[in-house]
Amino acid sequence: MNDENRDHERWSEDAAAYMLGALEPDETVALERHLEGCERCREQIRWLAPAVQALPEAVARVEPPGELRARLLAEVREDARRARAEAAAGGGERRRAPAWLRRLGGGSLGLRPIAGLAALALVVVALAGYEIGTEDGGSSGGEVTSTVVAGHPPGVTARVIREGDGATLHLADVRQVPGDRVLEAWVARGKKITPVRALFVPDRQGRASTTIADMRGVDTVMVTVEPKGGTRAPTSTPIVTVPIPQ
Amino acid sequence: MPVRREKAERLADEELMPLIGEKDPEAFGVFYDRHGGVAYSLAYRIVGEKAAAEDVTQEAFISIWRSGARFDRARGSVRSWMLSIVRNRAIDALRSRAGKAPKLTFDDEAILEQRPAEELTEEEAMRHETASEVRGALGTLPGEQSKVIELAYFGGFSHSEIARMLGVPLGTVKGRMRLGLEKIRGELAEGLA
Repeated sequence: MNDENRDHERWSEDAAAYMLGALEPDETVALERHLEGCERCREQIRWLAPAVQALPEAVARVEPPGELRARLLAEVREDARRARAEAAAGGGERRRAPAWLRRLGGGSLGLRPIAGLAALALVVVALAGYEIGTEDGGSSGGEVTSTVVAGHPPGVTARVIREGDGATLHLADVRQVPGDRVLEAWVARGKKITPVRALFVPDRQGRASTTIADMRGVDTVMVTVEPKGGTRAPTSTPIVTVPIPQ
Repeated sequence: MPVRREKAERLADEELMPLIGEKDPEAFGVFYDRHGGVAYSLAYRIVGEKAAAEDVTQEAFISIWRSGARFDRARGSVRSWMLSIVRNRAIDALRSRAGKAPKLTFDDEAILEQRPAEELTEEEAMRHETASEVRGALGTLPGEQSKVIELAYFGGFSHSEIARMLGVPLGTVKGRMRLGLEKIRGELAEGLA
């Protein structure tokens, strides 16, 4: 076997682990870099894809409870109703960013300092590069959607979609975290920082999301990288900080 | 204006997605009825608890409802995209539950939905065939290969975690993954031939 074939043997084995989501983050990055310039490995991945996509199809079927369908449909109908009502009220125009978001462009954030995290949070929040926009017309079910194109490292985007008293936090372009680390979300109410219970990790495309059960009184949502199992107080600089309108 | 259910039922998944992106509940209902079963089954297979599987399925479908417009058909089928969302959320849920080990066996003998063949659409029939082929392939895989695939895909473990767990070198784990996937792929290719 020559060197080139030996090299491809190695990448080929990495490709299978990659398809199964089993590579470590640094290996994922290395393989994706290799894939950019290697048609042979890209072909290998394309060929293996149906095998991985077929795995869930082979799972024994379990009938979902009927209440799940009822709950889902009730939620989306209410969401659609709010969207229609909002479109009717606003003439269907693309909404402008709320005033508090527009103010960010002027650099006045109006955020209260957060004890213990003030320096970290404000470093991120005070980035002049914050670009606040709206997603898909600026609303989801009539609720404000914030997009923050900033963070540490730069490029991480976050959307906080309000749903009643709660919200869903969606991150994109998050770097992979080491196997012994997770993402942990925090909410700040004035000086008080509270962890959001669910820990999460980015998928292979760098997307991650979690739900926040109680957004009442929250003025900032943050995400930090923490040891597996989570922590009771943030131990690292937030990778993203999202101010929430009151 | 939402489409009527009868019309939505005639649309392909790829045609439903833009409607879901426009917040059409009927299109979403049809989408859930097509895929809710496999989504819930996958979630249950990974998290091993019905209540948690329900939460995962609900989160995944709500996420699709809110991001349907961003489906990129260049990345594959809607069903694969949806299942990858379910899988990622289920693995997240699994990882966030400390000390809970995933199930470690394929339900090879389990039976899919018991419905007469004539009630199946062509697409459903193909999926059943695929499921049957994959089960067949998994059944013939050496246990060491199916185990690493299962630990990675359904357990969310990295290859180094699996190597530690099984007490074998990393290269062995990767090799077993490759051989196992190639075998499944080969079986699928034969089925299509």
